[in-house]
Amino acid sequence: MYQKHQIVDPHQAHTPYHSPKRAAMSWNMPGENHSSKENGLVTDANYIHNQQVEMTLRNDQNGINAASGASTSNSGATITTQGYSGYAVYPNTDSYGYTSTAYAGYYNGYQQQPNQYQQQPNQYQQQSSQYQQQYSQYQQQSNQYQQQSNQSYAHVGAYQNTGAQYEPLSSFQNTGSYAGPASYSSTYYNPGDYQTSGSYTSGTYASQTNLWQGQPYAAYNSEPYPNYTPDSNSSYSSTPSVATNHYQQHYKQWEDYYRQSQTEVSCAPGTEKLSSFSASSLSSSVPNANSGYIPSNNQMPVAYTPSWRPESGSSELTSLQPVTSSGSNAESYRIHGDSVIQNDPRNSLQMQVPNISGTVPTYESFQNKQNSTFSQDATTLYTSYQVHASSQPASQPLESLDARRVNKMQIPNNPRIASNLPLSVPKADKDNSMIGATAKPAYIGVSVQKPNEKVLTHDASDSMLKPGMFPKSLRGYVERALARCRDDRQIAACQVLMKEIITEATADGTLYTKDWDTEPILPLPSVDTVNKETAQLSILTSMMPGTKKSPTRRAKSRWEPIMDVSLAETSANRSERTPKYGGWNKQFTDRKIENKEDNLGNQLSSADPKVFSKNLTRPSKRQRLGDDLNALNDMDDSSDSDVEQSLTKYSATAVTLADSSEEKKRRENRSKRFEKKHGNRAQDIKLKANNVGSGSLYARRASALILSRNVEESGSRAVEDIDWDALTVKGSCQEIEKRYLRLTSAPDPATVRPEEVLEKALLMVQNSQKNYLYKCDQLKSIRQDLTVQHIRNELTVKVYEMHARLAMEVGDLPEFNQCQSQLKALYAEGIRGCNMEFAAYNLLCVILHSNNNREILSAMSRLSVDARKDEAVKHALSVHAAVTSGNYVTFFRLYKTAPNNSTFFMDLHVEKMRYSAVKCMCRSYRPTVPISYIAQILGFVNALPTTEASDHKEVDGGEECVDWLKAHGACLTSDNYGEVLLDTKASVPSLYMPEPEDAVAHGDASLAVNDFLTRSLA
Amino acid sequence: MGEANRQINEYLNRFSDAVSYQDGKSLSRLLSVSSDSASLLSLADALNIFQDANRVIRQSEKHSQYTDILVPIFRALQSYRLRNLVESYIAFERASNAFIQEFRNWDSAWALEALYVIAYEIRILAERADVELASFGKTPEKLKGAGSFLMKVFGVLAGKGPKRVGALYVTCQLFKIYFKLGTVHLCRSVIRSIETARIFDFEEFPVRDKVTYMYYTGRLEVYNENFPAADHKLSYALTHCSERKEENIRMILKYLIPVKLSIGILPRDSLLRKFNLNEYRDVVLALRRGDLRLLRHALQEHEDRFLRSGVYLVLEKLELQVYQRLIKKIYIIQKQKDPNKAHQIKLDVIVKVLKWLQIDMDIDEVECIMSILIYKNLVKGYFAHKSKVAVLSKQDPFPRLNGKPVSS
Repeated sequence: MYQKHQIVDPHQAHTPYHSPKRAAMSWNMPGENHSSKENGLVTDANYIHNQQVEMTLRNDQNGINAASGASTSNSGATITTQGYSGYAVYPNTDSYGYTSTAYAGYYNGYQQQPNQYQQQPNQYQQQSSQYQQQYSQYQQQSNQYQQQSNQSYAHVGAYQNTGAQYEPLSSFQNTGSYAGPASYSSTYYNPGDYQTSGSYTSGTYASQTNLWQGQPYAAYNSEPYPNYTPDSNSSYSSTPSVATNHYQQHYKQWEDYYRQSQTEVSCAPGTEKLSSFSASSLSSSVPNANSGYIPSNNQMPVAYTPSWRPESGSSELTSLQPVTSSGSNAESYRIHGDSVIQNDPRNSLQMQVPNISGTVPTYESFQNKQNSTFSQDATTLYTSYQVHASSQPASQPLESLDARRVNKMQIPNNPRIASNLPLSVPKADKDNSMIGATAKPAYIGVSVQKPNEKVLTHDASDSMLKPGMFPKSLRGYVERALARCRDDRQIAACQVLMKEIITEATADGTLYTKDWDTEPILPLPSVDTVNKETAQLSILTSMMPGTKKSPTRRAKSRWEPIMDVSLAETSANRSERTPKYGGWNKQFTDRKIENKEDNLGNQLSSADPKVFSKNLTRPSKRQRLGDDLNALNDMDDSSDSDVEQSLTKYSATAVTLADSSEEKKRRENRSKRFEKKHGNRAQDIKLKANNVGSGSLYARRASALILSRNVEESGSRAVEDIDWDALTVKGSCQEIEKRYLRLTSAPDPATVRPEEVLEKALLMVQNSQKNYLYKCDQLKSIRQDLTVQHIRNELTVKVYEMHARLAMEVGDLPEFNQCQSQLKALYAEGIRGCNMEFAAYNLLCVILHSNNNREILSAMSRLSVDARKDEAVKHALSVHAAVTSGNYVTFFRLYKTAPNNSTFFMDLHVEKMRYSAVKCMCRSYRPTVPISYIAQILGFVNALPTTEASDHKEVDGGEECVDWLKAHGACLTSDNYGEVLLDTKASVPSLYMPEPEDAVAHGDASLAVNDFLTRSLA
Repeated sequence: MGEANRQINEYLNRFSDAVSYQDGKSLSRLLSVSSDSASLLSLADALNIFQDANRVIRQSEKHSQYTDILVPIFRALQSYRLRNLVESYIAFERASNAFIQEFRNWDSAWALEALYVIAYEIRILAERADVELASFGKTPEKLKGAGSFLMKVFGVLAGKGPKRVGALYVTCQLFKIYFKLGTVHLCRSVIRSIETARIFDFEEFPVRDKVTYMYYTGRLEVYNENFPAADHKLSYALTHCSERKEENIRMILKYLIPVKLSIGILPRDSLLRKFNLNEYRDVVLALRRGDLRLLRHALQEHEDRFLRSGVYLVLEKLELQVYQRLIKKIYIIQKQKDPNKAHQIKLDVIVKVLKWLQIDMDIDEVECIMSILIYKNLVKGYFAHKSKVAVLSKQDPFPRLNGKPVSS
């Protein structure tokens, strides 16, 4: 539904939903202009709308829905229209206080979403640092967008940063063409618009649209891009001059921007202010929201952990949301910060701090000013905040600042997560997702449950996960995936991937049913060159101390030949980069044109489903651009698979980004790689469940994120360099006893026992007098906790060994095999345990049960010289010899002297061996064999676990033997002395192997419940 | 430059000529990348100098129709020359694919020889590429890929028509791959189609392929311990194998000897020496002498080798025959002493004999061994438990195996 809505929305549905006058118009406009990319945006817009609705209605998500939905939708429509046609609509929308905020969020979402989409393609191609990438993508996208369409600008606006950057661009404002700048501002404004709603945006957008259409891309390029680059991330493209130096300046600029936006009325500022103002005016809620945001933020910082859980309540939710929103914001922050950092590696840290602080103040001011200033960067964030805020009014600036900082800190993590979540959202819950992105926080409380929120998340890839939106496990999954990323690019790519995954899951309806804990994390995608650049630009969450820590800064990976972005990067690097960016600009201009054309064509053309598939399969090929665009257009038209479409869109955008043949090449390689991995991803890696320490959950995550960020900063991390350990988290459960439950969601650290407790638990099981079923249950839960925490050490080996032995004792072969295979891997890692004992078991298992000569040969040839000296292994080899030669005497002697639990395996072979022995005796002995001898030779005497007095043993053994022989058709006689004899000659034809009494249809007696229970309960 | 250009053109002309004259032999020479032939090596050098070979191919109409083959072939040659074997394999597989497409369209089987070369090259290149991959710490997967490619080739050949005689060659290349990879079970499907499909008349295939095929299927039978079948196949391979191919004969004997041993046929020591199969000499000697200790010692000494070649389990089972020989010796000695009581062999005696051999077994174990010998029909007679005496049949107490495996 959502997908459909979304898809439809852009073109068709928008009008209906947003019926509003312009909505349709606007939609069309955007569709036309932006075609594919825009479509993506549009869809986002729709999502946003939905989100908004959700925000307001919470429940209306699906419907886009309901009255409130309608209102929101309208607003959304307007918004969309804004993005597309003109902001003029916005003012109208502004009236919707909610919407305005929501819009902001939406816009964010929009921008983010588009970004995400693009990212997704990118991800497909590469997978990489999500957020940073996203940012970068955003930027790129923004660029693209600019090129492509106004919407893109709007998105760009989302980029806020760029907007900020643009500020310097004031030229935008100045330049009538605004298109570029305007668009930026508009985008920025959009956030503002959202919050404020947008007279601004409307105006700007309109101008943008006009500009877009009217103004040549070149203008765009020239103005926006250069500005962009320098401002946003020098790295970006901002080619030349600005880029390097500007970072610091940028920061300032940003602040300025913010301020400017306020002050620099010309285009953006005015619009922003207007929008914000209007928004505020329109909806008191907006300002409140802002304030609320702040508080929310404050809350956020205060309770990192709580934020995650929806339970915590609105505040927490908000906090989370803020985080998410902040995530988006954070993204912007990061962008700024990153850009700064990137730009000014030297300053980066410092800069970051200042930036942060600066941003914070700015935020405050923004808040005070109401988004206007923020509108650009913060706007989105703020908008989201505001949205949140709207839910929660009053806030204290200072706290907010802190919160923001905190958010920043968290953001990296959260945003990623959020971004991931957003991905999933698009499918099922695009509407919600939209909300999630911007409004999520506030909305979350409201609409958390709705899938649409997820969509929001898409939009605001950065935007935090909405706590409620996705299952915890999913969040954990995303986190894990993100934490693995070392690069911005990786993160971005990863985000895209996550989005994809989530969308898929939502589309499948498996979002909530899937066991995300066990879902393998996809291999990290390599980041595209684009991503690289963007990544550089991208905000390395580096701002945080983590960057300093960044232990993992590595040399350039193969994948990222360009450069490692490190704090310590030299200006030279920057300068190098800048040229590239310049190149980008050119590219962008070209692309813009292309895009325009394509878009137009696309608009006209109807959707071709095939195109999608093509695009999907070959997202990286640039030649496909046209197709992609078509696909995008199709997206609008066909409501089939939003995800796919979105993906294609992204890919298309991504494709467009890569111009240089070099990059193309690289990209192709990467994409190939990615595809491969993509295909295999399900099998690739076992997820490590991350358990977060109870108290320090957030801290840990944050640290993990930081780590990852650092990695990201370091520039490029090869996929193979992922630091898995960064994901490991500790459980906090102190209960020694725990029932085993198959995980259906991300493990809750509160229910996961740390290693010390697990040790106690193992001891408890060891000393327990209870039956096997209980012990098995306990051991399985211990194993689970170990796995989830990725503990692989002696304790792990001990647990598995113990379980294997217990399983052997009761004949639980399946469980034993599980343990055995785990143990093999553990031993192979060099962890010490009873290697030899289990090597012997393995040997016995092969010898006695598989009966495959090749297997026996390979098992034997694998034995090391040392192993051959081991008693247990020797024993196993002797057993092998006895079995092959049929030497029953030796076999039963070995049976009696079996070390450890080897007896168990031999047990399974005893019956066979006895039968063949008796057969052999009947053939070779004449005339009789005394039963006592048989009983002794065939192990009846000592093998029996009789509890009778020892002096009865012999007798019992004999009786047992008689019974056994009779059961197998032997003829018995007795001699004069009363000794029972086996009449061999008479027995030859009558011997038979009785059907095993406990035979089961499926062939595995141990699976017979009753039998199993009686054995194990005994 | 001019020289390079000339060489490239010459190669292209030879290729086109070979195709148009349907000259499989010269075509195959042009394709054997790994042959290290002087002309191909210099061509590779020329290609490395003259970078724009592809343009040359496309310029001429008669060459350009084989662009799909020639371009990757050049690539493969270049990479091979530069010792970039993975690249080379990948390019060669692409060329092979294109070649197969063409091959399909040729009605006659003139290009079979070239196809053989392709099948061979693809395996060799894949093996080398895997070595290279492994040295980079990556997963060697090219040989596996070559396997699936050859399955495709097999599909092209396994039909009615003159090309079907090429199927066995491809099958043998597949065997080589599967045995190398340890995925022997994959042989089954190919064997089934060779042995059951009516389009194939086994005698129709080239001798060299038949020998190779029999060798591999014989080895499979050894794994399955189906000795009569293994004997048949390996003997076929041995008798049809060219006498000059000593290495091949040796390889066949490596499996045939254990098979023959387990059906009671011992090789002459000269044979073992001639083909340098010294690891079997002690085994055979132990069988002749009934020297259990020597057998065990020989098995232990060459355990690794036997385990790797997969005959360990077969040789291990020779122990019973050694026991038989040992008992027979006792019997003969007893007969010399006292013909009337010779057929009664006391367990004590056997235990004592084993002790001389420094093998420590108690009476129960020996009783068990005797029982098994009788049960397996290596000794005729019966065992009297009460008196601990094995009573041998007066007629032929130690039946020869005579080409039949020890009954189980």
